[in-house]
Amino acid sequence: MPERARLDFDAWSFRLVMGGLTAVTVFFLLFPTVIVILTSFTASESLKFPPDGYSLRWYAALLGADQMRRAAWNSLEVAVMATAASVALGTAGALAIGRSRAWWAHALDSLFMSPLLLPGLAFGFAALMYVSLLGVELSLATLTVGHIVVCVPFVLRTTIASLAQLDPALLDSSASLGASPLFTFRRVTLPMIGRGIGAGAFIAFMASFDNIPVSLFLSDARTEVLPIHLWQIIDTHLDVRAASVSAVLIVLTLLLMLVAERLAGLSRHLR
Amino acid sequence: MTDRTMTRRQLLGSAAAAGALAGAPRHAAAQEGLVAATFPGTWSEAHRNILAPAFKRATGVNVTQTILLATDQVSKLQAAKGAKPPFDVAILDEGPLLDAVKLDLFDKYPVARSRHFKDLLPPFQDEWGPRVTMQIVGISYNPKRVKTPPRSWGDLWNPAYKGRVGLTALNSSLGIAFLVELARVNGGSETDVEPAFKALRSLLPNVGAIGANLGAYATLWQQEQIDIAPYNFNFTQTLRGKGVDIEFVVPESGAAAWRTSMHVVKGAVKPDLAFQYIDLHISPEVQAEMHKPPLDVIPTNRKVTLAGAITKIAPTHDRLSKLVFHDWAKINPRRSEWIDRFNREIRL
Amino acid sequence: MTERAGAGARGEWWLALPLAAVFAGFFLAPLGVLAVVSLFAEPEMVTFGLRQYRVVLGDTFNLRTLSDTLLLGAKATVLCLVLGYPLAWVTARVRPRLRALLLFVVILPILTSVVVRTFAWIVILGRQGVLNKAALALGLAEEPLRLLFSEVGVVVVLAQVQMPLMVLPLVTTLQKIDPNLADASLALGAGRWRTFRRVVVPLSLPGIVAGCILVYAAAATAFITQTLIGGARLLYMPLFIYQQATGAQNWPLAAAAAVVFMASVLLVVSLFNLLGRTRRARTYA
Repeated sequence: MPERARLDFDAWSFRLVMGGLTAVTVFFLLFPTVIVILTSFTASESLKFPPDGYSLRWYAALLGADQMRRAAWNSLEVAVMATAASVALGTAGALAIGRSRAWWAHALDSLFMSPLLLPGLAFGFAALMYVSLLGVELSLATLTVGHIVVCVPFVLRTTIASLAQLDPALLDSSASLGASPLFTFRRVTLPMIGRGIGAGAFIAFMASFDNIPVSLFLSDARTEVLPIHLWQIIDTHLDVRAASVSAVLIVLTLLLMLVAERLAGLSRHLR
Repeated sequence: MTDRTMTRRQLLGSAAAAGALAGAPRHAAAQEGLVAATFPGTWSEAHRNILAPAFKRATGVNVTQTILLATDQVSKLQAAKGAKPPFDVAILDEGPLLDAVKLDLFDKYPVARSRHFKDLLPPFQDEWGPRVTMQIVGISYNPKRVKTPPRSWGDLWNPAYKGRVGLTALNSSLGIAFLVELARVNGGSETDVEPAFKALRSLLPNVGAIGANLGAYATLWQQEQIDIAPYNFNFTQTLRGKGVDIEFVVPESGAAAWRTSMHVVKGAVKPDLAFQYIDLHISPEVQAEMHKPPLDVIPTNRKVTLAGAITKIAPTHDRLSKLVFHDWAKINPRRSEWIDRFNREIRL
Repeated sequence: MTERAGAGARGEWWLALPLAAVFAGFFLAPLGVLAVVSLFAEPEMVTFGLRQYRVVLGDTFNLRTLSDTLLLGAKATVLCLVLGYPLAWVTARVRPRLRALLLFVVILPILTSVVVRTFAWIVILGRQGVLNKAALALGLAEEPLRLLFSEVGVVVVLAQVQMPLMVLPLVTTLQKIDPNLADASLALGAGRWRTFRRVVVPLSLPGIVAGCILVYAAAATAFITQTLIGGARLLYMPLFIYQQATGAQNWPLAAAAAVVFMASVLLVVSLFNLLGRTRRARTYA
């Protein structure tokens, strides 16, 4: 009997701890988002939770926020260009190294992935010095190039993962039926790895749109991007507009995510 | 299949063209815009809500503001010297201004073309750029939680305020002015801040938080992280306007003050717009608007009379000029050493 | 199979050229410049010398900043693992619909800007914030706790912000574990906890290592979270580098600090990788 009780306690305590911690973590993950959204409806001039009253005034204030809107457009432009370039470069790179076991493929793989592990701030600073050494003025173009470097790993990772699931026999049979490599790529490879590329493109877009460490150095007031602008207005005076624009961004990204989930089965490719 | 490829290519082509068209006018506009530096807090709000709209009405041009402390502006301009400067208009306090002039970062202000420069009170006229306002340092406190209003700097050491006193880092003029005042009331001076550091170390048990910068400092008040601290008259007024419980008093030893000026950056992309922007700032209309609560920006144009909260500190401009002014020429060379020392010694 | 893959690669190796060129021109070259600049002896960049490295490594204040940063990353990683592992374990085990929902909860933070997520925490952690109000109301604290501008606050926020990086690789490895192994262990009377410790955790080690490495690299270098929650009084390497680079315009010192910081993060990451590998080898031995 005591043995039985011990086992019961064992199973019971295990479930309690695992279930409890899971609940805590889920709450922990969702809590800040909920707080931001609730705070954005505050009626008062300063950030407090719970708000003293509710209103839409901080959403109305967004309409007049010219500078914020310009920053958002800059962010969008850079993110679109960086994503497009990352997809092109990353997919080609993945095709070259994804199925090879040669030493150089391993070396290149580590190189291309290293922006994920290196402090982004150090790279941003290095890029700033490099750009000024070359005598190039900071512009959205230089910023985009910086973003490409930190966005490529995401495309590369998801594309290589989906290439691994691609049966090489398919490619061989396509080739043996006389199809050109380009035809094989378009008709066989691309449809199979398209969703992997799509998921990678999605994360690359988010990574660029949200990038701080590189933009901190490669953008200035003339090429200001949204995360930097938000950081400034929060850091300098806890601007309540930061809450309303955050809520807008959360809703927009949710929509984008739902679309991505439908088109590419995003969540299956994020791991 | 050929047809489909064709259509797709055409589609891509027209999309690219549309993108180019959509992008073109915005780029042109972005390049025409004026980039002006501003300070955190009161000034960024005054510039965003009053000056920028007035400027847009007058010239049709958008202003992009970049929020930077005076010393950061000087180092950014210095780094960009010879190339395109990161902003066209600078806003500086007295200390950093001396450095900037020495580094030859500005064009002289075109006084002859200015409509309002002659209306500035004499202490606010400067060949490198008009003084657009002045700032005052005293003690601020939360009247809900600090029942007896503080009277001197010594009140910060009151044991009742354990863990509730705030300090700000020395990267701002506010931090430096406070340090020098602390030195002065403890027998030191602009050249001898040893007494101030000694006093600060003994204050540490009372210190609840040190604002990394002026923004973080404002956050500390808003989130009621601190209840009493050296602070700036305008910041106090602005926070009050936001419903924060905060009052400003001048300590017995007097209020430290300094003038704040604006400048056309040498090599500015839009020097003429920069001049117009600054001249608008010293116009009586804009200064009167900024002088209203809750911003309470102190006017420097003689056509604007003092009103509101400032009259409790000094009813006239004449009285304002009798506040405590420091010798920034003596402070400047020692500044970085003090910052370094503060960062090392004054840690929580 | 290997041969065929090799054959395919031989035909396609040139596809990596554009990316390699971009990385050579815009990644390796800037890092090279960083290394060269770090070797200048003074901010004006006239003579070469190792002076900046002596400043970074020979000064107790700067060394403490470095060790604080490396420790901060470790603390955030541990908290992430403790909170993230159960969530990953549950996610890997539940029905597909619920799993999709949990994965959505995990991914959600990635989709919200880091600035925004951090911003929310300012409201939560303040002296009069949600957490302190709750703690006071429940009688858990006598007076408001100092959470904002404290290291505890930074660790908690970093753990939340970086949680997806931990959970996603964990879910992947946990899903791959054959459930029969755990069942067999239970059937042999090992008990849940023992099974978890002896079977599940060792088998999920690759996921743990991957998650920890990603979280560590991200947490140690998270400039925004560190500065907004920690304030500049809690000085970590990213802020130090930023201050030296932009405020003080001391590029050589900032570069040397960046090189030292990069090297230390990579060292910690590879040590962890190595540790994971030897542990795994021992488990299977």
